[in-house]
Amino acid sequence: MENMIEIKNISKSYHVVKKGEGIKGALKGLVKKEVKVIPAVSNLNFNIKKGEIVGFIGPNGAGKSTTIKMMSGILTPSSGEILIGGKNVKTHRKEVVQNIGVVFGQRSQLNWDLRLGESFELLRHIYRIDKTSFDEMIDTMDEILGIKELQDKPVRQMSLGQRVKGDLVAAMLHSPDVLFLDEPTIGLDISSKYALRKFVKEINEKRGTTIILTTHDLGDIEQLCSRLIIINNGKLVEDGNLEEIVDDIAPYKTLVVEYYDEQIPQHEKCEIISTEGNVAKYRFFKKEITAAKLIEDLGKQKAIKDVSIEEASIDDIIRIAYEGR
Amino acid sequence: MKECVKNQKNEKFNTYLQVYKMQIIRSLTYKFDVYGNIIMQSIIMLASAFFWKALYAGNDSVQGVGVSDMMVYTVVSSMISVVLTTNVERRISNSVSKGTIAIDMMRPVDIYKVFFAENLAGVTTLIFQNLLPILLIGSIFIGVPVPASKEAFLLFVLSLFMSFCINWFIAVIFGMFSFKVIEMDALIQVKKHLIRLLSGSIIPVWFFPESIKNILSFLPFVYLYQLPLDIYIGKYDSASLTKGLIMQALWVVVLYLMFRFFKKKAEDKVMIQGG
Amino acid sequence: MKNLFKELLHYIDVTLVYIKMAFLSIIEYPSAIIGWLLSNPIQFIVGFATIKFVVAEFGSINGWSYGQLAFLYGLAVISHALSMIFFIQGWFLGFYVIEGEFDRFLTRPLGVVYQFLFNQINIFGITDLIPGIIVFVYGCVKVGFSPSPANIGLIIVMLIGATLIRGGIYVILGSSAFWTRSANDFGQYTQEIFDKTTMYPLSMYPESLQFILTYIIPIGWVSFYPVSGLLGVEEIGIGSAMSVWITLLVGIVVMCVAGFVFSRGIKRYESAGS
Repeated sequence: MENMIEIKNISKSYHVVKKGEGIKGALKGLVKKEVKVIPAVSNLNFNIKKGEIVGFIGPNGAGKSTTIKMMSGILTPSSGEILIGGKNVKTHRKEVVQNIGVVFGQRSQLNWDLRLGESFELLRHIYRIDKTSFDEMIDTMDEILGIKELQDKPVRQMSLGQRVKGDLVAAMLHSPDVLFLDEPTIGLDISSKYALRKFVKEINEKRGTTIILTTHDLGDIEQLCSRLIIINNGKLVEDGNLEEIVDDIAPYKTLVVEYYDEQIPQHEKCEIISTEGNVAKYRFFKKEITAAKLIEDLGKQKAIKDVSIEEASIDDIIRIAYEGR
Repeated sequence: MKECVKNQKNEKFNTYLQVYKMQIIRSLTYKFDVYGNIIMQSIIMLASAFFWKALYAGNDSVQGVGVSDMMVYTVVSSMISVVLTTNVERRISNSVSKGTIAIDMMRPVDIYKVFFAENLAGVTTLIFQNLLPILLIGSIFIGVPVPASKEAFLLFVLSLFMSFCINWFIAVIFGMFSFKVIEMDALIQVKKHLIRLLSGSIIPVWFFPESIKNILSFLPFVYLYQLPLDIYIGKYDSASLTKGLIMQALWVVVLYLMFRFFKKKAEDKVMIQGG
Repeated sequence: MKNLFKELLHYIDVTLVYIKMAFLSIIEYPSAIIGWLLSNPIQFIVGFATIKFVVAEFGSINGWSYGQLAFLYGLAVISHALSMIFFIQGWFLGFYVIEGEFDRFLTRPLGVVYQFLFNQINIFGITDLIPGIIVFVYGCVKVGFSPSPANIGLIIVMLIGATLIRGGIYVILGSSAFWTRSANDFGQYTQEIFDKTTMYPLSMYPESLQFILTYIIPIGWVSFYPVSGLLGVEEIGIGSAMSVWITLLVGIVVMCVAGFVFSRGIKRYESAGS
C-alpha cells in the first residue's frame, strides 16, 4: 500500500510572551517583554497509508492539534517536512488542500448567518466541483447523515450535532482523499456520536478515504481506529493497532481462581501475585501461555470452583501510555 | 444586623474594586495597543493643530476666538476624548448576542455597576497611558494648554465629570438597544458620528450658524466637549456659564432616568425569555 | 497564460458567490440596513456641512474655493467608500489573528489574501458612496469640470489608485497584529487621519508633514495631488493626466508592499488554542 501521508522529522515550537503577576507585573511588561520558546512537537516521524483510519490521541496539550494543523497546512513546522499524496504541504499548499478535508469540532467553517445550502454552494465554487458530482455527493451524504432536511436551515439555528453534520458534509464535498477530524465528537449527544461514527466507517469503506482523527472518546478509539498514534509532550509514545498497544503496555493478564480449600497450587509459567483464603491471583504473560491451558494445568493439580480473568481496560492502557511507564 | 448589612455593603464594594483592579491589569497587558494609541492620537491632534493654524493664516480672531485659544482647544479636546472612552455598549451587545446576559443579570452584583467600575478603571489607566503622553506631546509641539483661570479649571473638572456621566449613560442606553436590535454595529456608528460632529470635539460649535447653535444647545452632545472646553478657555460669562452647567446637570438627570427606565424594561424582557 | 486566465475566471466566479452571500446576509438583518443607511450619509453630509460653515467663517481654506473643496471632498469620500467595500477587513485583521480565523482560509485552495479580503464583502460601503457622489457632482458643477469621456476615464483611474492606497495602508496596519498578536482595531484612528489629510488640501500642512505624506505614507496621492492636477488649483509640477497615472502607480506599489508585509506576517501565524 502506498503512503498517503509522510511525516518526516517535524518539530514545532511556539513563542510565548511571559506575563508578570498583578499590576506590577503588567507595568513591567510594558517596558520589557520576556519571550519563552515552548516546544509543542519535537522530532515526529510516521507514515499513514491510504485507507487507514488513524486515531491520534494524547493528553491535553500533547501537541495533537498542532500536528493536525501542520498536516492540514494551517501551521508550518519549524523544521522537517510533511508530504501528503507525495506533495509537500508547505510548498504546494493549494494543491494539497484541494485533496484534504478538515473538520474542527470546536469551530465551524459554515456561514453563521445563512442557510446551510449557501455554505455548500460557496464550497462548490471554491473547489470547482461540477454540478453532477456535487449532487451525487449530497445524495450520498443524505443517505449517511440525512443532510437534505438541514439544507434550508440557517446555521445559527442549528444544534451542535446538526452543525457538525453540516461541517462533515462541507469537508467531503470535493471528495478529498484525506479527512482530518479534530475532536469531532466533543460535546455531541449519543445519537450524533453514532451518526458521526457511521459516517467515518462508511466513507472509509465506500470511498477509501484516509481518516485521521483526534479524540478523547474511548468509544471512538475502540469502534473506529484501525491504528492508534499516541503522543505525549510532543513526542510519539505508541504507534500500532489497539491490540498491539495493549500487548505492548500490558502484556499480561491476571487469572483469578477460587479453590475449595486454602491449598493453592503453583505453575512454572506464571506468578502468584496474591492469595486470599481459597482465592489466588496468577499473573501470566499472554505470549507464554493461554488462559485455557493454565486453567487446565491448575485444574489437574486441584479442583477449581470458579475462575475469572482480569485484563487492563482500554482506559487503563491509555492512561498508562499518557503517564508513561 | 446592622453590622451585617454594612459588611455586605463593604463586600459588594470590594467586588467592584476587584473588577476595577483586574481591568487595569488587563489594559496594561497590551503594550502595542498603548504605544499605537498614543501615536495615532498624537498624529490626529497635530494634524488638527496644523489645520487650524493654516485656517487662521491671515485671520487674527474669528468669532472672538484667536489662534492660541484654538491651539489650547485642540490639545484639551484630545485629552477629553481619552476621558470619554467607553465600550460599554459593545459589552452589553456582545453579552446579549452570546446569550450570557441572563447569567450576568442573575449575579448577586449589579452588572451595570460592574461595567461602570470597568469603565472607570479603563479611564484611570488611560489617564496615565494616553492623556499624560498626549499632554506632553501637545505641550511640546503645539503649546502648553494653560486654563483661563484657576476658577475656570475647577469648573472645567466639574463639568468634565458630568460629561463623563452623560457619555456613559448614552452608551449604556445604546447598549440596551441590543435587546431589540440584533445588529448593533450600525447604530453604534450613528452615535459615534453624531457625537464626533455635533459635540464640538473636532470643529467648535462657535463656527456653526446661529440657528444650528441654538438647536444644539438643547441636545446633549455639546455638553460632552463644547461646554468643558468653553470653560477651560474662558469663553464664558456668568449667564452663559450658569445656563450651560444647569443644562448639563439636567441632561445627566434625564439620561439617568432614561437609563433606569430602559434597565427595568431590559430586565423584564430577560426574565420573560428566561435567558 | 491560458492557466492564468482560468485562475482569474475561477476567482471571479468565487467573488460572485461571495457577493451573493453578502447580499443574503444583509437581508437576514433588516435593522442593520436602516442603521447603515442612516449612519454613513449622516457622517459625510454633516461633515461637508461643517466645511461649509468653516469656509463661511474663514473665507477659503488655503486658497481653495468652496467648489474646489467640494470636488476634493467628494472624491475623497468616494475612494473611502470603495476602500470600505473591498478592504474593510484590513481593519479587523487583528481579530482574525486572535480568533484563529485564518485556519479556514489556509485549508482552502485559494489565495489567503484574497479570501481574507473578500470573504465578507461589505455591501454597506455603498451607503458611503452615495453622499460622496452627490458632493462630487455638486463640486463638478461649481468648478465647471466637464464630464467628457477623457475626464471620466481619468477620475476612474484616480479612484482605483486612491482605493488601492487606502486598502494597502489598512492591510499594512492590520498586519502588525501578526507580530503583536493584539486585536486592537485602528480603524477609527486611521479614518480620522485619512479624513484630515484627504478631505482638505494637503498644502495647508507644514512642509515636513507634506513630505511624509507624499513620499513615506503616500496619503497625499489619495486625493490632494490628483485633484490639484485635475483642477489646476496648486502648482504641483505635473500635468493633470500625469498626476492621475502616478496615483494609480502609487496605489499598486502600496498594495504590493501590503502583500509583502502580509505574507511575511502569515508565516508567523500561530492559529488559536493549543
